[in-house]
Amino acid sequence: MRARVRAVSLSAVILVSLALPREPRAQAATSPSEARANPSQSLAIVVNRSNPLDNLSFIDLRKIFLCERDHWPNGHRIAVAMLDYGQPERKTVLRLIYRMDETGYQDFLLREMFRGDVFIAPKILASPTIVRKFVFNAPGAIGYIRTRDVDQSVKVIRIDGLLPDDKGYRLQIDEASAGKESD
Amino acid sequence: MRKQPKFRARPLLSGSTALLGIQGAGRSLSRQVSIVLLVLVLVGESGVAVFVMRDLGRSYATAQRMYTGAVQGLLRIGDMQYDAQETRRATLYALTTNDGNLQVAYADQSRNADGGVTEGIVQFLAAARTADETKAGQQLARDWSNYLKVRDEVLGLILEGSPKEAVHLDLNLGVSEFELVRNDLDKVKRSYDEQASQQLATVAELSRASMTRLTAALVLGLGLGTVAIWAIQRSRLRAAVHLAELRMDFVAAVSHELRTPLTAILTAAENIRDGLALSRERLFEQASVITAQAVQLMETVDQVLQFSAASEKKLPHPLREVRVEEVIDDALLSTQSLVDEAGFFVETKIEPDLPHIIADVSVLSQCIQNLIANAVKYSRVKRWIGVSASMNREQNQILISVHDQGIGIHDSDLKRIFEPFYRSPDVIGAKIQGTGLGLAIAKRGAEAFGGDLTVSTEVGIGSVFTVRLPVAKPARQKASNAESAMRGARA
Repeated sequence: MRARVRAVSLSAVILVSLALPREPRAQAATSPSEARANPSQSLAIVVNRSNPLDNLSFIDLRKIFLCERDHWPNGHRIAVAMLDYGQPERKTVLRLIYRMDETGYQDFLLREMFRGDVFIAPKILASPTIVRKFVFNAPGAIGYIRTRDVDQSVKVIRIDGLLPDDKGYRLQIDEASAGKESD
Repeated sequence: MRKQPKFRARPLLSGSTALLGIQGAGRSLSRQVSIVLLVLVLVGESGVAVFVMRDLGRSYATAQRMYTGAVQGLLRIGDMQYDAQETRRATLYALTTNDGNLQVAYADQSRNADGGVTEGIVQFLAAARTADETKAGQQLARDWSNYLKVRDEVLGLILEGSPKEAVHLDLNLGVSEFELVRNDLDKVKRSYDEQASQQLATVAELSRASMTRLTAALVLGLGLGTVAIWAIQRSRLRAAVHLAELRMDFVAAVSHELRTPLTAILTAAENIRDGLALSRERLFEQASVITAQAVQLMETVDQVLQFSAASEKKLPHPLREVRVEEVIDDALLSTQSLVDEAGFFVETKIEPDLPHIIADVSVLSQCIQNLIANAVKYSRVKRWIGVSASMNREQNQILISVHDQGIGIHDSDLKRIFEPFYRSPDVIGAKIQGTGLGLAIAKRGAEAFGGDLTVSTEVGIGSVFTVRLPVAKPARQKASNAESAMRGARA
């Protein structure tokens, strides 16, 4: 019964997302300031300032979030910080990086831990501020926050050589779809 | 038989009033002594008060330094110890949970606490006064920095989900590093304790010094006060003894002065009664003795009464402007028989056109008469008396002087010759009769008119007694001058 409800809701989400107008993105692409992304809607990937890494490919980023990589090149264990359920940033990450919905992510996590492929589940944190503090305190931490929440305590890394402000940066929050997903 | 100068009779006054001058002198001495002693007490107390105030100021400053240095330092160390414990406690709390949010909160708590310790170390180093303190502060800073590195790693491991490694690291390094920090803090605290103890000892020492000085001030004050009271009492006692001695001397002198003529009168009367003076010549001789001795007796009584009147400071007649010549003539006339009988030559030298003086002729004349009588009495070989009057224009005074070539006065007697009833031992030894009142009466007579009586003398050469009197002012000021003269005389 529960699985059926999930399937129905997932179908509804997909349908709704397909039905959503694409105008905001289209407008952004054709606007005079197209050289730059909308900073308030960009999602920055942040790591501890001691982390020597400056750039990640999107593929590597995905591997990290899917717990396919355990350690950074400097030897620190990777600790993924996830925002709590229902937040737009989390939905964006699930959509763009995990390419899953919430249910799929939960299933994935349970499956991986059950198989023993993942020893440490991502930390579930309540707010972007806590994510930032977590990343600041843990040398191996990696998390995501809006660019407006970034400060000097953490380091923003490039994804495929692009910063959140750059054109073509992939991690953009779609507020509308995020809101509908949460519904 | 010598004839005594003739004195005018004065109203009879009580004996106690006559002695007022002596009692006043005694009281004046007591007042002076007591004032001097009280001033000494005040000066002494003020001096000690200055010391005590300085001690109190130093104690206050030391206490302030102690508070700002040691006490506040101890408080700061207390805060640092608490913050250090809080830093570690919060780190360990983070180990007790798997909730990432709580772990972050504990990490935050730990970092906030370590900020307090770091700030405290900076303050301690800034306030450090000695090399030891600086060294201890630097050691603490190093150890604290080392511990924080371990703490950061432990926190990182906890947040990364490696609690086992975190515990291992904390046990291996964190505990020992934190122990070093704790020892350093204890060391700093001990240095503050020692500082506080030293400053407390200084404050205690200053307090003891203040107490000692206060006690000394009280003892000094009490001592000086006691001495002052003792001096006053002693002065009063001495005045009383002196008064009693003078009274006895007075009684003895008066008795002698009265008894001598009375004895002569009695002897002459008995001679007549017993028929020893049968011839007319013998009878005349005995009657003459009686008459002469009676006159002497009367004059002695008159002198005592004059002194009483002079002590009362009441003048028998109102003051008026008088000529100096008038006064001198009156005095010379009154003493003429005495001078002639003694075979003295009186030379007068009066400056012409002398201004008038404000006086009572009879009193002032009496003053001069006493000086002339003394000149006769105390001259042995050279029978010469000079009476002069001149003007001292600088001080606007009339000077009336009586010169003699008599025995002179010793320095030791000079300060006492104007005391009533005083008679020098030489005079008593030479059996020169007198009551010791002549100069006292003369001085008070001069002072009654705002003047003074002074003496310059040389033993074996002679003496000069000078009456100094203020010149009368213009007529329109006469009345006020007279009143002020009276006031001066009464004062």
